[in-house]
Amino acid sequence: MSGPLSNVRIIDLTDEKSIYGAKLLADLGADVVRPEPPAGDPLRRRGPFKDEQSLWHIFFASSRRFVCIDLPEDQSLFHNLLTKADLILTGPEGFGVAETDFDALQADYPGLVVVDVRSFGREGPWKDYLAPDLVAGALGGAVATTGDADTPPLKSFGELNFMVSGAYAGIAGLAGLYAKRRNGAGQVVDVSVHESIASCLEHVLMFYWYHEQMMREPVLPRRGSLHWSNAYVVFQALDGGVMVTPTPDFDRQLAWLIEEGVQEDLIDPKYDLPEHLVERIMKTMDILKRWVATKEAEPLFLEAQARHSPYGWVIPLAQMAENEQLRARDWFTQVATETESVKGPGAPYHFSQTPWALGDYGEAHPISDVMEDIGWEVAS
Amino acid sequence: MSRPLEGLRVLDFTHVLAGPFATRCLADMGADVVKINSVKRAIGANDPLHPYYLMWNRNKRALGLDMTHDEDRRLCQSLCEQADVVIDNFSVGVLDRWGIGFEKVKESNPGVIYIQMSGMGEGGPWSNFVTYAPTIHALAGLTYLTSVSGREDIGIGFSYNDHQAGLHAAVAILAALEARRDTGAGQHIDVSQFEVGVNFAGPSLMDLFANGRAAEPTANELPYDDACPHNCYQGLPKGEGTLGERWIAIACMTDSQWQALKSVMGHPEWAETADFDSVAGRLAARAEIDAGVAGFTANHEVYDLMARCQAAGVPAGVVQDGEDLNTRDPQLALYQFLHKIEDVSPLLGQTWADRLPIRFSQTPCNIYERTKAVGEDNVSVLGDWLGMDEAAVRKAESEGRLQ
Repeated sequence: MSGPLSNVRIIDLTDEKSIYGAKLLADLGADVVRPEPPAGDPLRRRGPFKDEQSLWHIFFASSRRFVCIDLPEDQSLFHNLLTKADLILTGPEGFGVAETDFDALQADYPGLVVVDVRSFGREGPWKDYLAPDLVAGALGGAVATTGDADTPPLKSFGELNFMVSGAYAGIAGLAGLYAKRRNGAGQVVDVSVHESIASCLEHVLMFYWYHEQMMREPVLPRRGSLHWSNAYVVFQALDGGVMVTPTPDFDRQLAWLIEEGVQEDLIDPKYDLPEHLVERIMKTMDILKRWVATKEAEPLFLEAQARHSPYGWVIPLAQMAENEQLRARDWFTQVATETESVKGPGAPYHFSQTPWALGDYGEAHPISDVMEDIGWEVAS
Repeated sequence: MSRPLEGLRVLDFTHVLAGPFATRCLADMGADVVKINSVKRAIGANDPLHPYYLMWNRNKRALGLDMTHDEDRRLCQSLCEQADVVIDNFSVGVLDRWGIGFEKVKESNPGVIYIQMSGMGEGGPWSNFVTYAPTIHALAGLTYLTSVSGREDIGIGFSYNDHQAGLHAAVAILAALEARRDTGAGQHIDVSQFEVGVNFAGPSLMDLFANGRAAEPTANELPYDDACPHNCYQGLPKGEGTLGERWIAIACMTDSQWQALKSVMGHPEWAETADFDSVAGRLAARAEIDAGVAGFTANHEVYDLMARCQAAGVPAGVVQDGEDLNTRDPQLALYQFLHKIEDVSPLLGQTWADRLPIRFSQTPCNIYERTKAVGEDNVSVLGDWLGMDEAAVRKAESEGRLQ
């Protein structure tokens, strides 16, 4: 492995709420061992599949060494494995987590950094609540903020909520490791999924706290694609959606509308006055909606960007494989499995000296093989 | 014990949300984040008086620099020599023009971790495109997929990807620090916010490549896994209009959770058919199930119903809005997740903060300093980083610099 974490040993006992964090660290070169029971990791049953293989698992459990551990029979091996790590990432439904007292383990091995990712933290009336992604997103505030007046509140597609808690789990582990490198001491670090989601809601808390100053309501209703600023929205072009905005330069947008002969009364000098700014935005958006309906999505997006306007073409997933920016950056990356190679996402960041890389994806091996292979002593 | 990143020096040229969120996270964990701003640029989301700026810039020290002044540019170069991390999300090339591009900084500071968070990354035909989070959501497939089929696009209702680009940048910085410990060398990190966003569709992209299947929006259903009921349902309203609606999310991930939900509902006749014992049977009658569950929830107060569902082992959660998070949520209250900042702003009065969602047992992060005005910490920053005395700083300020 060539990544920045190539000297870090991690045991990955994450569940769906934090597995993305283990992936982030594994793809950065850490030696990450993910144990699973003889019956296999339950997350191998997540769709989509290619033949019998879970593509979900290939994505989220990338760059790991899988080891098969039979608890309670292999308890001492498992314990031994845990004590050899720099960092242990855990979730309540992760392998061996219910059977292990990590606070006690950390106390016995004070150099260990243990990250414990739970839905609601350790205390409180909701601490044992079951919260799959939809429920976590609902309680955390993300669902209320997504959707339109004529739809229910909406969950974001896929596992976006757990990718937030996962990212925080990665940060928690690395920050714990950084502190340990400084002062020699590990620690237990808790991450709350609920708080993670609530910390990433952009305007939601701001509106509640500062609505008077902003002269707005404390809570915004569901309003489709319309951004809280009223200045970004998706309009339908002839062949799909385009995210349209007159920002950051309203005059530049106006000049373009004049070129197109669709400016209507927007050239009225009254619109230059600050007290007419809201009216100007509304009027501009109204014209843009009708104008966009006469255009094709991709060319309109490219023309806007040539004019330095931050429009965004609403790209269907089907067209992502052909994306010219990703292709030019040679972004999509192959993962080698035992039977074939599967193409998927590439690096979320590019390091000049210690590049991100995906490790091979293989089946689970007996623990003794892995222990021997990586030179860790196996307790007899 | 001190916070985990105490002593780490971060020079922060970021603006709006994605970049400031990365450095907010580092600052919350004790890094000395010096936020560079200038009076000339402090408009809109860059104005320390704007609530948006308040949200993302607490716990940072504020240094004013006017890069049109040669002296301020020289000071900036000296600060770069002292930094562990230099971070920006300007368009490609701006920092080079100021004489603090990566190659230049590396000459005098070979350990520097220099991270650039542009919309599209360096290189490629879209490299110079202008993007905000709604742009990235659209281009990355997030807007298309988070929607209801057969109607106009909706997308995520907040700037999800900006937060995530920030968190990924924080991961990258901490990883590069670990590498530097081994090698002594810094490096350059190129973050493309677009690539971060596309990455979130990972399993769906693999499905596209491996099977030729392109994911379509699924509203509140799961795209690949069988679960039913799995939706948001209206409860007793609290008031008028959309904002007066109350919703509860119910997600039966297993057959036994469905059986438990039936008990909570009092075994209504419509639910008792054996066809619904299996998830396949329920999925085949999804509309009927959704209507039946909605008919039940409509007569219930959602917080009470959530407690009853959870007590019975049914995953359920109130669809909480910003007011609920602040006033109804017992978990957030218990951990004082949303709290007033003690130091009241002389210009803005009371300000608030949400807590870092990470709790360190040995290196707790409980310090929340208010967001500072442009140049408010000139004396302390230039004293600590460059050894300048206060008189020199004040003299520069009186000459119209450092602001």
